[in-house]
Amino acid sequence: MESETALYVNYLPVLLGGVVGFILVFTALIGARLLAPFSEENQKSTTYECGMLPIRRASTNIGMRFYLYAILFIVFDVEVIFIFPWAMSFLNVGVFAYWLMVLFIGVLALSLGYAWKKGALQWR
Amino acid sequence: MTDIFGQTLNLNYVLLLPEIVLLIFSMLVIGIDAFKRQLNISGNVPVGLALAGLVVALTLSILQVNMDEDFARLIQVDSFTSFFRILFIAITLVLIVGSHEYIEKSVSHVGEFYGLLLLATVGAMLMASARELLTAYLAIELLSFSLYIAVSLARSDRRSGEASLKYVLLGGVASASLLYGLSMIYGVTGATQYHEISAVLSAGDTGLTTPLLLGLVLIIVGLGFKASAVPFHMWTPDAYEGAPIPVTAFLSATSKAATIALFLRWFGGPLLPIASDWQFILSGVAVATMVVGNLVALQQVNIKRLLAYSSIGQMGYMLMAIVAVGSGFGSDATSAVLVHLAGYIITNLLVFISVTHFFNQTGQEEITSFKGLAQSNPYLALMITAGLFSLAGMPLLVGFFTKFILFQAVVSAGHLGLVTVAVVASTVSLYYYLMVVRQMYLYEPEDGTEQWRLSLTGYVTTLALFVSLVVFGLWGTPLYAAADAAAAGMF
Repeated sequence: MESETALYVNYLPVLLGGVVGFILVFTALIGARLLAPFSEENQKSTTYECGMLPIRRASTNIGMRFYLYAILFIVFDVEVIFIFPWAMSFLNVGVFAYWLMVLFIGVLALSLGYAWKKGALQWR
Repeated sequence: MTDIFGQTLNLNYVLLLPEIVLLIFSMLVIGIDAFKRQLNISGNVPVGLALAGLVVALTLSILQVNMDEDFARLIQVDSFTSFFRILFIAITLVLIVGSHEYIEKSVSHVGEFYGLLLLATVGAMLMASARELLTAYLAIELLSFSLYIAVSLARSDRRSGEASLKYVLLGGVASASLLYGLSMIYGVTGATQYHEISAVLSAGDTGLTTPLLLGLVLIIVGLGFKASAVPFHMWTPDAYEGAPIPVTAFLSATSKAATIALFLRWFGGPLLPIASDWQFILSGVAVATMVVGNLVALQQVNIKRLLAYSSIGQMGYMLMAIVAVGSGFGSDATSAVLVHLAGYIITNLLVFISVTHFFNQTGQEEITSFKGLAQSNPYLALMITAGLFSLAGMPLLVGFFTKFILFQAVVSAGHLGLVTVAVVASTVSLYYYLMVVRQMYLYEPEDGTEQWRLSLTGYVTTLALFVSLVVFGLWGTPLYAAADAAAAGMF
């Protein structure tokens, strides 16, 4: 039973963080409701666009191409996440680790090459 | 070679040859497909390469049947692994041969599709052979990711994208839950190796009952989703309906079988010492799965949705046997599950390949569109009828024999209540299988009695499956012996 209590103690900061977060957000919301002046002007409900009058609806279609680029970006993002711990423990593990990373980057490069060939990098 | 903990690792790459071969061929298929204009190759090259890879991998797996060795403490190549390797490769082989006309006509990105099928097969094979939690998890993701994409590849069918999105979103939730459950198990036992977890858990009370239970529940949620057990089954009919028919067949055969393999590996291995904690959860899930799956199937109008619910019901029977594994009848119950799985897959493939050819000819998949098939194509009507009867468990076909073995194993483990539900549910299932048979035999065809034929490969695959359906139904000894050897390797 003791180790189970220890397990819960580990989660105590999470609980505290949650409680404090709720308190902070709700005091801010309630405080604003109580203290801030409110005006019922019509202009207030329009979209804010750098102080100018909005020229069209705020929700527009975004090209699928952006998502493709975002996904390709993730390839490199993940690569960095893996390279950092690898660099930290590289000296301990030795040559084997080097070849593993070469393999890993090779696979990533292959996938990027495939995406390139398929035309994912072309803005059409 | 030793790892950073100083433990010796067995890096015998020969053990992984079937997987490696499939991986290389899948990359070849995808790569050649990307460069098909420059290389100026015919459309038959991807399918040829895929089939060649499968045949080579099948040969290698058969050569490794009697192995019992681990690879780097991550993969265990034993008779259990070999059983599933051969099963999975055979499924993909039969599917590609049986439905390549459909794939060329109704699937977009054909080359990638074949590559994805091979990758999914590799994932399924690794699921059955993993001996460590994270390897198993990665294998699940390899299978799932390939299938998420494959589901979306039906050409000019808007339901396909919807199906894929539903599948990937719900699948992500299930994976998260599974991973969280695994982290709980790791937190309690401090090990990811199956045998180490088993040792820690059987050594006595860990003092961590709550996290262990939480971990078990989360694992059952995650695996239950992949097996489409009932509270987590909602994605199944939609994904089945939208996917290209070969992918639907793949989902109902390989994906389900791999999940059951993992269930057996986990609940018959590392989690066996705490069987009393999960048995009641799994019994509840199994009963719900059998009842809901078979009852909701009664009101389906689309053949793919009908088969989806029928596969949910079938999963219920197998989950029931996993409860029996927990009662100390491990090797009997396991071999019964394996026999039933093999029989179910043979039957399901026959039905799905027949439906594929029906769709090729008519372009329809409603149950009412089967009206009068007995006149326009008596051979196909006979194949579908045999498959459906076998799914319902009629004698003389393999479905009866495997279901009998399965129910008997569960009864001898002392779960009479579960089997009662299963028998009633199985009787109900006969009704909706007969609905399809009724459409084919009792009605006149709507648009004349023009006869049509299957392609040669269609005849070959359906006939081969039909013959094994009947032969294993009358003489199930080889199937039973293989399953028995596989189960013996695990316990």
